[in-house]
Amino acid sequence: MTNALFYIIAGIVLGSALLAVTLRNLFHCALFLALAMFGVSGIFLYLGSEFLAAVQVLIYVGAVTILIIFGIMLTRDVMNDHTRVMNNQVFLALITALVIIFMSIAAVNKSSFPLTDHPSAVAALSADTAQAANTRTADVYALGPELIRPERGFAFAFEFVSILLLSALVGAIVVARKDPS
Amino acid sequence: MNSVPVVHFLYLAIILFGIGLFGVLVRKNAISVLMGVELMLNSVNINFLAFAKYWNWSSLTGPVFVVFVITIAAAEAAVALAIVISIYRQWKSTNVDEVRYLKD
Repeated sequence: MTNALFYIIAGIVLGSALLAVTLRNLFHCALFLALAMFGVSGIFLYLGSEFLAAVQVLIYVGAVTILIIFGIMLTRDVMNDHTRVMNNQVFLALITALVIIFMSIAAVNKSSFPLTDHPSAVAALSADTAQAANTRTADVYALGPELIRPERGFAFAFEFVSILLLSALVGAIVVARKDPS
Repeated sequence: MNSVPVVHFLYLAIILFGIGLFGVLVRKNAISVLMGVELMLNSVNINFLAFAKYWNWSSLTGPVFVVFVITIAAAEAAVALAIVISIYRQWKSTNVDEVRYLKD
């Protein structure tokens, strides 16, 4: 039952992602991108990260997609009905994407992942996750201190990302504003 | 409790990455290229969380990296859309194969 749920969500994600990169109408592309992001947040929920699923919905569906829709509306009249939406490298791009997909899948199939290779490991894994679930999970109470705990070394990256976000905010305003001259 | 094998999450992430790459390579509009980049970043996040779940759930390194990836993706989207709007204002076009001022 829960397995079927994963495959349904994965199908929604892949289908809407495919539509988001192939449809003509840019606005429809953005809406299907939002659906794909919703699906990815469902995958996050399936992987037990409720906080990150909520963050995914807030940031991707709530902010990035809205930003993209604003961008589409501000640059509106570029796409009329007779312009081509794809360049003349469709065949090469398709070959590149398919080769990367199949090579990566072959590499994954040839690799062995220690925890999930045989059934005993899967049983140990579920016992381990059940044991870990009542000690520490990836919820916000564990994730917050993890970001700034000195012995983990993420504190510098955390501060650096804060500065990056602030400078991106200022930079976006400076780049997009009208030239005063 | 959770019996989907980890390779299926990897397959999902790989195919999503391929779709995003196809979009980046093939679309003419810069905003569509940006959408492809967002799909690729999301596939990486799925990978991080799948390994965080199946390999070492208590270490929390994967979720922390996902937080960083989401933050940087948001910053990248903001700056990229500002650049697209600025380009549109100057050239009245957002097609990446028409805006070749640096090349010529």
